[in-house]
Amino acid sequence: MAFGSMSFLFGFLPLTLLCYFLMPRRWRSGRNLVLLLFSLAFYCWGGVRLLPAFAVSCVGNWAAALLSAPGRRHRKAIYAAAVVLNVLMLGYYKYTGFLLGNLAALGMDVTVPSIALPAGISFFTFQAVAYLTDVYRGTIPAERNLGRVTLFMAFFPQLLQGPILRYGEFGPEILQRRETADEAADGAVRFCFGLAKKVLLADALGQVADGAFSAGDQLTVSLAWLGAVAYTLQLYFDFSGYTDMAIGLGRVFGFHLPENFNYSYISKSASEFWRRWHMTLSFWFRDYVYIPLGGNRCSRGRHLINLLVVWLLTGLWHGSAWNFVLWGLYYAALLVGEKFLWGKALQKLPGLVQHVYALVLIIVGWVLFRSASLTQVGEMVSAMFGAAPGGLWSGESVYYLHQFAWEWAVAVIAAMPVKNWLSSRLEARREAGSTAAAVTLAWGVKLLAFVLLGWSVVRILSTGVQSFLYFQF
Amino acid sequence: MNRISKRAFLALLLAVLFAVPAGVILWSHRETTAYYENRTLAERPALTWQSLWDGTFATAFESWFSDHAPGRTTLLEADTAVQMKVLRRPVVNDIVLSADGVLVPFLSYDEYTEQDYAGPAASIAENYGKLNDHVEANGGSFYFVGLPEQRVYFEEKFPDYLNNHETEAQTADALFIQALEDQGVRFLNMEDVYDELGRPEEFYSTVDHHYNYYGAYTAYRSIMETLASDGWDLPVLTEDKIDLVEQPFPYIGSRNRKLYNLWPNTDKAVIGVQKDPVAFTRYDNGELSEKPLFILPEDPAMPTTYNLYMGGDFGETVLETDRPELPDVLIFGDSFTNALETLLYASFDETHILDLRYYTDKSLKDYISDYQPDIVLCVQNDTFYYTTTGNGNVWED
Repeated sequence: MAFGSMSFLFGFLPLTLLCYFLMPRRWRSGRNLVLLLFSLAFYCWGGVRLLPAFAVSCVGNWAAALLSAPGRRHRKAIYAAAVVLNVLMLGYYKYTGFLLGNLAALGMDVTVPSIALPAGISFFTFQAVAYLTDVYRGTIPAERNLGRVTLFMAFFPQLLQGPILRYGEFGPEILQRRETADEAADGAVRFCFGLAKKVLLADALGQVADGAFSAGDQLTVSLAWLGAVAYTLQLYFDFSGYTDMAIGLGRVFGFHLPENFNYSYISKSASEFWRRWHMTLSFWFRDYVYIPLGGNRCSRGRHLINLLVVWLLTGLWHGSAWNFVLWGLYYAALLVGEKFLWGKALQKLPGLVQHVYALVLIIVGWVLFRSASLTQVGEMVSAMFGAAPGGLWSGESVYYLHQFAWEWAVAVIAAMPVKNWLSSRLEARREAGSTAAAVTLAWGVKLLAFVLLGWSVVRILSTGVQSFLYFQF
Repeated sequence: MNRISKRAFLALLLAVLFAVPAGVILWSHRETTAYYENRTLAERPALTWQSLWDGTFATAFESWFSDHAPGRTTLLEADTAVQMKVLRRPVVNDIVLSADGVLVPFLSYDEYTEQDYAGPAASIAENYGKLNDHVEANGGSFYFVGLPEQRVYFEEKFPDYLNNHETEAQTADALFIQALEDQGVRFLNMEDVYDELGRPEEFYSTVDHHYNYYGAYTAYRSIMETLASDGWDLPVLTEDKIDLVEQPFPYIGSRNRKLYNLWPNTDKAVIGVQKDPVAFTRYDNGELSEKPLFILPEDPAMPTTYNLYMGGDFGETVLETDRPELPDVLIFGDSFTNALETLLYASFDETHILDLRYYTDKSLKDYISDYQPDIVLCVQNDTFYYTTTGNGNVWED
């Protein structure tokens, strides 16, 4: 079920809220049961056929964690087997087609099967591996209650696209949390802003990206850049919008989900970008792959291999195609370069130059990410740097600039921390006694959130439900 | 103050969250069609295990829920108004607003090449050739009347940065016409006729994809001139026999309709008032019909559409004028025929009109064999030349 659907906004959500808050606050397990049942219903909405793989993962990881806890016999073997099974399940659903397709391309006589990908499998598998590993390391105790582990994996606000949770943070809130009207209001405001980011900005700019990436022989230099920049903005507002909605919904139910984005496009290097983009994934790879491999406390050669492995896996996690592998290796090269070659020189450059450097590299990176094939990667990148079949400029570019003029302007502003700047200015003025600032902070933001919700709903009615980009991962 | 605003916000939000589904439950049965979107609203899906298993129930439920949201039409109209008047987008709801006062559709930048059209042109024309032979074998004459669609007629009005597909349309039309002529089919090219007259703007609607009655009348006169040059001695509704009268009703065209009729247009419906009307008996789909040639609202403030001509599209309409000395005609084609029919019937004894999108009783060739018309007119706008279904399905059983 998509957050940007009428079924969710005006069907699932009010029904969940009604059932949840009708349950007395002191009956915590009852409220958790409501959340669990509605989370499973949320998952099944896209087809009950998706449930078996998810259920197996929940039950299997719950049992494996119990048997992997410190003090249990054969726990190392059980932990290793559980991790391998998680990886195999992810591999089967996500990479079988890719693997067999490549074998077929090499001339081998294999049939490429069509395997339906269980929604959110990349996210819930990573959460499960994190839970197993934390239990195995003794960082957290194994949870005996299957329902709680299932709620951790199925919690509907973050089930399909994260943020990737750690049981050490989420588990305590399952047992002890406090739902308040203030938290709910703040969460609802954040949800409305997230929905608007997705529906009003990402979906509109996605049309530009779609047009550019399907232009073929009519691709021009301007269109290639417009498409690449549009996709850069689309992906940010799509994914960070989803995260805002997830965090906002979490707060409504008293949970505090981790942040996933921190104005990624104000970065001044590729390394900084990855400290600001999809942070819970970066932390996951750091804690469960990079550091176990030895991190940077090893020889330079080993360190390079560790970085390469992490970024190869990061690319593959995003998709089973060669362009994702290339995208991962691209960032491996950039991060290695910044760490060992040009990082110090980069820091001495003016801030604006650093910013332009990072943005160009990020935009080119998203072209690798968005392209349907390596061939298209070559076409788009060469078009961006002058070798476009359609020349420099086209009417299509003018159309996209005219048609989406508002979205371009708002998206560029909203990708920068203008909101934080405005908030702090208003806070300062309020503390200095300004009534206007106090009224704006108290009412203006909520009014804007409500208007954005209404406008988003109208756009959903007009254009229908548009899938989230990270949903496919 | 912050505490109050938070509670007020939550209260308002919850009120909306619960009011919308309540409205859907209470009022979803009231409307079955979306007039401005020109479509039927989704029906509530049946809940089955299979549809839950494969997820199709969710998709169908979303369509139904979305289609029946309370105030949906009003909200979409407001959204259209914002897009048009506040955000001032050049294209709204796939309609170009910046085409020099004319509403034309937004066309994709993708184009087909000459090679893409060459193959279909030959095979489609072959079917028309077979039809031509069949008509002649049954004692009749076949003519293909080709008309430019409004967006083609006004192709020069497109802003420079939008694709009007002018070159593609010219290539496609030329290939099609050549292929028809290779098959021996008589092609009456109305675009040439309009061009010779200077392509007058008043011939086509600014808000609809059809021509208006002035364009239809010119086409009628051109058709009658061609028939006369081929030896047919037929009565003609010349200017002295008919008055073209502008009607007071607001005119909603197919383009303006997509904009919720928010585009300020001065288009008016025009009808032909015969000074000495040719009486007729009308049958629609085999049933005697009291419908006149022009269906007009009783209230001058009520809007009208192109459907005023003959009352819209029917599978089969027959107009009998009880003048056996005159030949019979069979007309088939798209809705461009509707305005023409109100003129052509006056020149024939019986006028049979088929819209093959809706007529299913028999095939076109069987109809011709049974009815044996003296003249068969195929009337198509150029965006339908390459269609092989509906009115393009001319040689299937």
